[in-house]
Amino acid sequence: MTILLSGGNKNGKSGYGQDFAVKLAAGGKLYYVATMIPYDDEDRARVARHIENRAGMGFETIEAGRNIQNVFETADENGTFLIDSTTALLLNEMYPDSHFEEADSEAAARCISGLLEIARRAGNAIFVSDYIYSDAARYDEFTETYRSSLASIDRALAQECDTVIEVCAGNLIVHKGRLP
Amino acid sequence: MDLIIGGAYQGKLEYAKTKYDLKESDIFTCSESEGIRFGVRCLDKAGEFALWCVRNGKDAVEFLQQHKEEWKDSIFICEDIFCGVVPLGADMRAWREMSGRMCSYLSSEAESVTRIFCGLPQVIK
Repeated sequence: MTILLSGGNKNGKSGYGQDFAVKLAAGGKLYYVATMIPYDDEDRARVARHIENRAGMGFETIEAGRNIQNVFETADENGTFLIDSTTALLLNEMYPDSHFEEADSEAAARCISGLLEIARRAGNAIFVSDYIYSDAARYDEFTETYRSSLASIDRALAQECDTVIEVCAGNLIVHKGRLP
Repeated sequence: MDLIIGGAYQGKLEYAKTKYDLKESDIFTCSESEGIRFGVRCLDKAGEFALWCVRNGKDAVEFLQQHKEEWKDSIFICEDIFCGVVPLGADMRAWREMSGRMCSYLSSEAESVTRIFCGLPQVIK
């Protein structure tokens, strides 16, 4: 089964993603695909918090900040993969050298291709994204490129996945398919 | 009239094109500089018309009420810009409010309201 989880920040998406992954794995291989590359202490603290949150749930962590489809080099593809998040993955792919000057215009296409490969090959896959599309700001060109790129990834995953869920204040709105 | 609403880049226009079998000539794209033009089946980016209203001292709801006969069978598409932080700039604040009141009005007049999320439609009226 494949699931796309999106919604606003701090609504409980990661928690639901972990619960669904454990349920779908049903005792089989369970992978947490960590996409965030920590750059500073704030990032490292967040990573530590996430690791603590999923301790004892049976996840094996795979670091994959870029080239997400490479997870299959080490992981059993019949397993269950929690990819948290497409948002961090896109950022890393847009700025391959961690320089925030020039965004790589092929980043979204690369993310879509890698994520769809996971959706098609993995035993189960859960993708966590962020809904950043409903505010009244006029952003700079880089930010708009990031937003439109993330939206194109979301829409490709929404089309591919069996289930699409919006998390709102800890509640689930099912836009497609059924809950696991 | 049908209203399609949703966040930026969610696939609102693509959905409308497929659902209503629209050609490019059926669509008018509203803009901050030109406002709105009736007489086509689909009025895209209605929020830009709201911004035109702000810039030109008009009220979007009053304007639409006066021209109701011209759009009552149309499809409106509007971006949901209502979930973020209140903008710091006075113009953007006025735009957000104008856009919100316009959407509420259009929603009340609409036969159907559809929200697009990641390309997927959800009928909310």
